[in-house]
Amino acid sequence: MDAITSHPRPLPEQTPTESLIEARALSFSVASSGGVVNILRGVDLKVQPGEALGLVGPSGSGKTSLLMLLAGLERPSGGTLRVAGADLAAMDEDALARFRREKVGIVFQAFHLIPSMTALENVAMPLEFAGRRDAFDRAEASLRAVGLGHRLGHYPGQLSGGEQQRVALARATVAEPALLLADEPTGNLDRATGGLVMDLLFGLRERLGTTLVLVTHDEALAARCGRVVRMEDGLLSGGVA
Amino acid sequence: MSARAGAGFGGWPLAFRLARRELRGGVRSLRIVLVCLALGVAAIAAVGTLRTAIDAGLRADGARLLGGDVELRAGSQPVPDAVRGFINARAARTSDITILRSLLVAPSGERLLVEVKAVDAAYPLLGAVVLDPAVPLRDGEVAVEPLIAERLGLKLGDELRLGEAHPRLVALLRAEPDKAATPAFFGPRVLATRATLDATGLIQPGSLLQHSLRVQLPPGGDAAAFVAALRQAFPDEGLRLRTASTAEPGFSRFMDSTASFLVLAGLTALLVGGIGVATGVRAWLEARARTIATMRCLGAPSGLVLAMYLVQLLALSAVGIIAGLVAGYGLTWLAAQFLAGSLPVPPRLAPYPGPLALAALYGLLTALAFALWPLGRAARIPGAALFRDAIAPEGARPGWGVLAAQLAAAAALIGLVVATAGDPRFAAGFCAAALATLGLFRLGAAGLMLVAGRVSHRLRGAWRLGLANLHRPGAPTALVMVSLGIGLTTLTAIAQIEGNLRRQVEADLPKRAPNFFFVDIQQDQLARFDALVATLPGVEEVRRVPNLRARITALKGVPVAQVRAAPGSEWALAGDRGLTYSATPPEGARIVTGAWWAPDYRGAPLVSLDASLAEGWNVGIGDVVTLNILGRDLEFRIANTRAVNWRGMGMNFALVASPGVLEAAPHSNIATVRGDPAQDATVLRSVTDAFPNVTGVRVRDALETVAALLSRVATALTATASLTLASGVLVLGGAVAAGQRRRVRDAVVLKVLGATRGQISAAWAVEFGLVGATSGLLAAVAGCAASWAVMRFMLGSAWVPLWGVMAATLLGCLALALGFGRIGTALALRARPAGELRGE
Repeated sequence: MDAITSHPRPLPEQTPTESLIEARALSFSVASSGGVVNILRGVDLKVQPGEALGLVGPSGSGKTSLLMLLAGLERPSGGTLRVAGADLAAMDEDALARFRREKVGIVFQAFHLIPSMTALENVAMPLEFAGRRDAFDRAEASLRAVGLGHRLGHYPGQLSGGEQQRVALARATVAEPALLLADEPTGNLDRATGGLVMDLLFGLRERLGTTLVLVTHDEALAARCGRVVRMEDGLLSGGVA
Repeated sequence: MSARAGAGFGGWPLAFRLARRELRGGVRSLRIVLVCLALGVAAIAAVGTLRTAIDAGLRADGARLLGGDVELRAGSQPVPDAVRGFINARAARTSDITILRSLLVAPSGERLLVEVKAVDAAYPLLGAVVLDPAVPLRDGEVAVEPLIAERLGLKLGDELRLGEAHPRLVALLRAEPDKAATPAFFGPRVLATRATLDATGLIQPGSLLQHSLRVQLPPGGDAAAFVAALRQAFPDEGLRLRTASTAEPGFSRFMDSTASFLVLAGLTALLVGGIGVATGVRAWLEARARTIATMRCLGAPSGLVLAMYLVQLLALSAVGIIAGLVAGYGLTWLAAQFLAGSLPVPPRLAPYPGPLALAALYGLLTALAFALWPLGRAARIPGAALFRDAIAPEGARPGWGVLAAQLAAAAALIGLVVATAGDPRFAAGFCAAALATLGLFRLGAAGLMLVAGRVSHRLRGAWRLGLANLHRPGAPTALVMVSLGIGLTTLTAIAQIEGNLRRQVEADLPKRAPNFFFVDIQQDQLARFDALVATLPGVEEVRRVPNLRARITALKGVPVAQVRAAPGSEWALAGDRGLTYSATPPEGARIVTGAWWAPDYRGAPLVSLDASLAEGWNVGIGDVVTLNILGRDLEFRIANTRAVNWRGMGMNFALVASPGVLEAAPHSNIATVRGDPAQDATVLRSVTDAFPNVTGVRVRDALETVAALLSRVATALTATASLTLASGVLVLGGAVAAGQRRRVRDAVVLKVLGATRGQISAAWAVEFGLVGATSGLLAAVAGCAASWAVMRFMLGSAWVPLWGVMAATLLGCLALALGFGRIGTALALRARPAGELRGE
């Protein structure tokens, strides 16, 4: 494990002409008791910096697995994957953790806030991991940006679903990541609240110039992205998207 | 934690901060960890503190206990004049003590075996004797312990009989400052002057008595230097000297070995507690798996996750350990009250840092040795787990660094056990046995699950369901078996050991064991003695042998002080030994080497020696043993060695001399009398009335004294081992509680499918009954094996299986398992299907 405490090692920066995400012949398989399951079967994908990509497709098509590979949460079984200039396949577990906290923000369907921590502490966490001294100031600003300046000291259990997802959104964007990954972010919310959360998400993305990959079943939601690709049976329709 | 992880996880301050936040969520699920640690630490802290407190009491009161700065034990012979002169020239004061046991006869004719302590005017050199009333003790008067007055119904002013004298009872002996140095083992104490003792006629050649001389040195005198000078001046006298700092070596040794056993019993509690720690921590971390995965997604390295939970675990362990130390210290007070009558000094109770720190270290190492595995696994939970159903990766192993740390903690724990034990070999054996027992229960569980998996599909109804529960993935079969089994194994082992020892002192009495030993029968009383006992009712057999007192001064010409005797054989080189002579081998003796002398042998002195002593002293046929008899050194050549059955309760002598040498020396005789126990009182009264100087010792009374001591040790061990069972029950409760969620779900689904409460209960009765029965069987077997090993290798004694204990173990295990299973089942059956299904 590398030293990353309060002196983060800079990750390789991508050149302006380089794609933020570049996947070639990306495959991903898992071993199960019934044999090897090929989830991704040669995905080619390029996403430019600042672009918003909607990823749609039926359940089991491999959308979430692709998202996990992009976040460095799983390792590809084959092919190459560069995200924000980093070759994810070549990095160890803790380098990937460092990569995530510096370059990637993730919004989950089930929020995944830490129940024993306040909203402010939840949001400050990625910056604390990075050893940032201004973690709490920035977390507060981030929470204010999603309209939760009055909920800083509340625990997740004291917040509504929409508020929890807004905290998660603040947490995902507090480090101003190059890449924002969202996995069905409105799946656990009613339509009105979901709409409000998505407005916030797209607003933040635009303000920060963050690249967005949004996984959703909702075609209308996907349509808010600049580009939509469809995944079926482990392959992206239309080849290089 | 590995150095690698430590360097890269983001710093301890962050780990502490995150841990503090996490702890806000409460520690309910870790209560079992706290209690398990606290129980084990309490047991070890209590034993260690009590031992230290007793040692401190002995040290502080050493001189008072000894009754002087130095004590010289001279055995049955008075202190030689030359030695006395040397001492008198250097001492400030001296005091002569003589102790012997005899029968005290009440005016009613009732009699009791007592130890008479005859003292001079200088007694006691230190401290004070408390007589009630506070009268001076004159010649012709005695003071007795209240117990004697109670047993014999005495009142002050009564004329008693002691040997041939008729002293008057003038006071009750309330306190004796030096009682610990001269414990009245064979009977309660009678205090008299030396002139009173002389008048009894009990001091005869060959009498079993103990002369000692207490010495008080001038102010600033160095006891050790005094002892060294005395030994140097009289190298051949074989002087037995004690100083205040070694006042109670025998008791200290006894304390050491008892405390070692108790510490090991406490460690067993800690071991079971450790299993509770492991399962408690695992359940706790499983409940936090989503939090961990979220943190991993947010960029927390595995090292940070490990550090954060390690901090929490250590904080909670500290709470458990401190609670254990406090409870342990409290237990020490209770134990001191319980043991008050058995200890030579009041223990000096204080929170001694040494034993408390040791107990805390045991607790900490146990927590680490058992918790690092689940912690290491949790640290490897990937962020991707958030996207999957199963959060805890089945079969994941901790990193190598964590594994190394865990092994180091386990090794340190074993090292500490062995290093701090009185008997390191036994402690190492204990560790090996503990690991083997753990392995046995794991194997037993694996076997049970395998069989259940093989046969469950061939069965129907409750049996099929119960067996399926045993082997399904995540079934707590192994945990329940281990938690239940270890505690019961310990208790079984202790019960088997105690039962076997008790059998040996009580039930295993040889069928032909005598009812009485009569000692100090003088040569001129032999004919009358034989005639008398021949007329007594119920007497079936009388045996007599001559009895002399001898001290071994040299072996093969080497003074005994320079002989390096093997452990277990040194005792016979110190002090007086009984010696007899005989033309024929003792009845039942088995000659191991050499041959017995001819019945009419009258040549140079020969001796027959106990074979195990000969081996321990490294002597054999033809070697010379020098014996000091009545102040004269005589050389005996070893003619043969014999196997002596010391438990035979007959007259056993380590040394038997050939005839023709000792007959002329003044000596007494010992007789054994066997017959109808109903006539014991008549026989005792008749013999000791006719021969006031003769003392009768009832064999059964002596054995009861030993049994009472054994019983106290066993009680202390059982109490400590009960903590193991308590830990086990806690862990078992935790295991059942951990599976409760599944049990409720199963109950609901089964109810939905039409199962009756009876059918569901029966299935779980099968599951828990089989687990309990298998654990009980294994606990009985493992307990027997452990007790056999202790009896065979530590006590060098025979062992027989006690079927009652084994049956109790099996039934106890079954009852505990079924009891807990029943509670879990009853709670699960209460769940309402509708609510549970909506929740899903």
